[in-house]
Amino acid sequence: MVVCTLCSCYPWEVLGLPPVWYKSSPYRSRAVIDPRGVLADFGVTLPEETEIRVWDSTAETRFIVVPMRPAGTQDWSEERLATLVTRNAMIGTGLALTPGEIAVTAAT
Amino acid sequence: MNGVHDMGGMHGFGKVAPEADEPVFHAPWEGRVLAMNRAMGSLGLWNIDIGRFSRETLPPDVYLGSSYYRKWTLGLENLVVRYGLVGEDELAAGRALHPAAPVKRRLTAADAPKLLSRGSFERPAAAPARFTVGDRVRMKNMHPVGHTRLPRYIRGHVGVIECVRGCHVFPDAVVAGRGEEPHWLYTVVFDGRELWGEGSDPTLKVSVEAWEPYLDPA
Repeated sequence: MVVCTLCSCYPWEVLGLPPVWYKSSPYRSRAVIDPRGVLADFGVTLPEETEIRVWDSTAETRFIVVPMRPAGTQDWSEERLATLVTRNAMIGTGLALTPGEIAVTAAT
Repeated sequence: MNGVHDMGGMHGFGKVAPEADEPVFHAPWEGRVLAMNRAMGSLGLWNIDIGRFSRETLPPDVYLGSSYYRKWTLGLENLVVRYGLVGEDELAAGRALHPAAPVKRRLTAADAPKLLSRGSFERPAAAPARFTVGDRVRMKNMHPVGHTRLPRYIRGHVGVIECVRGCHVFPDAVVAGRGEEPHWLYTVVFDGRELWGEGSDPTLKVSVEAWEPYLDPA
């Protein structure tokens, strides 16, 4: 999970301007002490044993998360995999979409 | 400075509230403020660190009670007054009352795309790095009244150097008026328990980017 506790540093050049929640006091204060609670606010629950790593962007270094490859995508091309990647997955407050979710999105 | 902007680990701000289908700007003035900040920054009178410090030194109640772009507005107001570009009387009047101050550079439409690309903050090193990957370091327990990028929640704590990032412009020095004073920059990673104590999440690791003057060997 990527945060900037001191201001709102964010990889603008890659992800565009940050959403309001990223710049908000709740996110900036809680990400480093209660990342699982933050994930819960996004409806994400990880197994208890999953290690959580938080990156506080205190310098001009910028970070993005490379999302985990969802199950059932082993034979997918890079281009097709990219359709599963969301902004929040690259901030670390969400997982990549699953093939099932993308199918639903495409149908609606 | 130990300001309210240094929020890591604070309680009481409530839940994170993601907004569905969020627009890039919630009102046209937000985009104008962003553009004004970029345009005024291009004069070369201050850098990103001085801009940040201008927002950090807003009164705590104003900082906490203002949206992101309102903070950018107020921070820019502080800067243009401090650098003699705009008078307090002009801000109050909402219009120019004096001849414009001369500026060395002025942003033109042709230059605008350059503003959107990010410069590098890495500089040649004057000395070899003091630490290497795997070294244990203790973050200094210091409380400067000026600008610093050493958050309170890691001060005094022991972490491990995970990456050496090169030699980078030192924000504390820039804002103090000492120039860029480049120092080695490291990724330092901490166990959650080291920061937040017994009973905190045993799987948590938190890292910061820290300049060498923030570090002592541990």
